Amino acid sequence: MTFDTLTLILLGGVVLGALYALMATGLALVWTTLGIFNFAHGTFIALGAYIAWQVASPEALGGGLLVGALVSVVGMFFIGMAVYYLLIKPFERSADIVVKSVITTLAGATILENLISIAWGPRNKQLSAVLTGDLQFFGLVMSRNEAAAVIVSLVILAALGIFLQRAPLGRAMRAVAQNREAAQLMGIDVVRLYAVAFGLSAALAAIAGVLIGSIRFMNPLMGSDPLMKALIVVIFGGIARFTGPIYAAFIVGLLEAFMTYAVGLYWSPTVLFAIMIVVLVVKPEGLFGKHRKSV
Amino acid sequence: MRYSPSFARSSGLIPTLVALAALALLPLVFDGNYLRHLLVLAFIFAIVASSWDLSLGYGGLFNFSHVALFAVGIYAYGLVAKTLGLSPWLGLVVAGGAAGLVAALITLPIMRLSGIYIILVTIAASQVLYQIVISQSQITGGTSGMVSLPGLELFGYRMSRDGKIGYYYLALAMLVASTILLYRITRSRWGRAIVAMRDHKYYAISRGMSETRTRLFTLTVSAAISGVAGGLYGSYMRVASPDNFGLGLLGLLLSMLLLGGAGTIWGPILAAFFVTIVSEALAEYGAWRNIIMSLLLIVILIFYPGGLWALLQTAREAFDVVRTQAIATLRRRSGKAAREALTGGQERIISTRHGRVAVADGGGNGPALLFIHGNSSAKEAFAEQFKAFRDRYRVISFDLPGHGVSDNADPEQDYSVEAFADVAEDVLQALGVTNPLVFGWSLGGYIAIELAARGYPIRALSVSGTPPLRVVPEDVGKAYDATSHFALASRRFLSPSEVRDFATSTTGPRDRATKHLHRAVMRTDGRARAYTLGKLQIVDWPRQMRFLRAAAVPFAILNGSKDPFLNHQYFRELKLTQWTGEPADVVGAGHAPFLTMPAAFNARLAAFLEAVEKGNSMSQTTDRPTIPE
Repeated sequence: MTFDTLTLILLGGVVLGALYALMATGLALVWTTLGIFNFAHGTFIALGAYIAWQVASPEALGGGLLVGALVSVVGMFFIGMAVYYLLIKPFERSADIVVKSVITTLAGATILENLISIAWGPRNKQLSAVLTGDLQFFGLVMSRNEAAAVIVSLVILAALGIFLQRAPLGRAMRAVAQNREAAQLMGIDVVRLYAVAFGLSAALAAIAGVLIGSIRFMNPLMGSDPLMKALIVVIFGGIARFTGPIYAAFIVGLLEAFMTYAVGLYWSPTVLFAIMIVVLVVKPEGLFGKHRKSV
Repeated sequence: MRYSPSFARSSGLIPTLVALAALALLPLVFDGNYLRHLLVLAFIFAIVASSWDLSLGYGGLFNFSHVALFAVGIYAYGLVAKTLGLSPWLGLVVAGGAAGLVAALITLPIMRLSGIYIILVTIAASQVLYQIVISQSQITGGTSGMVSLPGLELFGYRMSRDGKIGYYYLALAMLVASTILLYRITRSRWGRAIVAMRDHKYYAISRGMSETRTRLFTLTVSAAISGVAGGLYGSYMRVASPDNFGLGLLGLLLSMLLLGGAGTIWGPILAAFFVTIVSEALAEYGAWRNIIMSLLLIVILIFYPGGLWALLQTAREAFDVVRTQAIATLRRRSGKAAREALTGGQERIISTRHGRVAVADGGGNGPALLFIHGNSSAKEAFAEQFKAFRDRYRVISFDLPGHGVSDNADPEQDYSVEAFADVAEDVLQALGVTNPLVFGWSLGGYIAIELAARGYPIRALSVSGTPPLRVVPEDVGKAYDATSHFALASRRFLSPSEVRDFATSTTGPRDRATKHLHRAVMRTDGRARAYTLGKLQIVDWPRQMRFLRAAAVPFAILNGSKDPFLNHQYFRELKLTQWTGEPADVVGAGHAPFLTMPAAFNARLAAFLEAVEKGNSMSQTTDRPTIPE
């Protein structure tokens, strides 16, 4: 393995890790607060990308990438809230909400996926790059676009971290995640908070979608593979801490990059999933988890 | 022990046989190849969905690799039948074995996990299987899958010939076989362990069940069934596609399971037909089909969470209410003379606070003697007493609401011990009777005690088959014998054999004297059973007990000594103040001594009534004399 290959793998892993971190954090946000797993998260990624494309692309409205991304993030926030009220809220008091939310979010994903396919067609599209050209530092070469993706991801995650640590709404969210009944007794409107958590998660998915759409191609099914990766990441990192999935995302990103090199494109997902199963068996609370949050 | 009759004695037998006969005869009547194709798919999906129900519904294990194991079955069939070129029938067997084996491997990591973690691991396991299939393209055909798999043949007859009729009957037979197997499992020791693990894991473990073994059994067996179905699917479609590992098929089958109602086995089978046919009916709408199907699923889950199975139950309840009311109306018109001949009294309809009830009035100027019948019976139960006591008393009896030829009533308002006591008051008032002597049988005994305890003036009180209760439900367990058909008393629906069991336990085997009471069980509004016994807890039992202890009204208990429902020791321990002219139990009689041994019973009742007349009913606290068995 030459130095160039190594850096290539490392940088590729970092970019993947940044994207996975965004997606996994969104997924973990819903999981920690609501205790359910949102299978529509992958479709949120696709829908966010397509909304941004609709606003930004010169073939459509031509508003530019920044406006497109903004519209997409705000739009997805409200779509996420709507999805919560339509698909999760009705089963809030149901004993088998975990399995029911699996089926309703799967159904919701099917609906959105097919709507995307009806509205925009099944063919691949691409968002324009955030930045063009290459970046050189310490002898490493990286496209500016990918560097921008990494930086945007990290900034967004840092902002989210501060929001959860400091902002009243963010603290309320953590409170509900820790003890729903106690939080409710303190006067927190749990239902509204759940909706906000879902909206935030969808907004994060939209950002991830925009970044993926500008680095790779987009199609109605673009979210299903990232969803599976985000699932691995969340399990790797555990959800006990906000930062768990972020560390895990970079580990998984790097692992995947190395593995693709070492065992080939086809085998690397198998190995990843196998590692995930091992982690779940040995340490169900995740590599960075302290205690287990069981639902 | 929980009452759970065999399938042949349950009310599901007849509908199942009818549906099975209809499906078996369908290809002979209809020749449509497309319908047959749909039904073959529905049969296969029904096997997969109902076997999934064993782990997800009964076991509460969110095993989301079930559909991937179905796909493993498809591929295993393909490998055996095509790649290795062995017998396709062997392929079916290997498909089941392979799916079971993989399921056992998946069980290892989820042995100690619970809830959502099981979902995650099993989904990840499905992905691993998918990735393995994709990556081994030289064996499995990669993303394009395996095509033109060999079909099944039986003695040289290709199953796909004659409009796939062979596959139709094979799939139907396999559905029947898998359903029988699943049904037997759910009723076996294993089935009880699976449910116990779901309902109360730690209690089940403390009673000696092994969580590991139960999980391994549940997942392996359900996967093996699903795997065989996969093999059948592969032989029928002749394609093994990696799409079968995807979320699409998972969603379709999960929707069958949830639409049908998890934990029922029958629900998913029903829903498999529904979903397959609706989904195919929408086939021409392309992408809109998936949207409509998903919307339908969400709407049903929100507004009808019990699924199709619950819908079926609702329909059955509605039908049963109409059926029982129709019987009542019909009998009121046509059988009046026969009923009057039985009692010798006059039948009339009286409006009460709780609907219209039928009353038999023996007439005459003697003191009124009111008989109140028990659960799922009728006023004609007292035919022998009408004859025996008509000379000295004005014998009166009435059909409770929802019983006999009275109307069905509103279950919330009208089916409870207290409402029935209201009815008794209204009947007595309408007949212009004051200060009656009251005899109540079984449930009617509670009504009689309730009537007296609330202060309605009566001269004497006698009950049969009615243990006075202090605390409900605790005393119910002490006073009644749980091994009898007591459990049927509160059941809403009784199958024909349960009707026979219940009527036999309460009144005796069907003969000339009891046949009208066997018929009365059939007529009784099931809601009257379910609601009245369901509401036993709200009766003011302490007031009844205070009334009995105060001994202000002469009181006698006239049980049959062989009453199958009663724990006779309980009566002895109550130490109630009562008439003790002689051992009051009717020796050798069952739950209805007045019906099966009328002479002995009437003598006892007459003795009690005579003591009341003479004012020396000898009320005193005493141990109940014991009857030598």
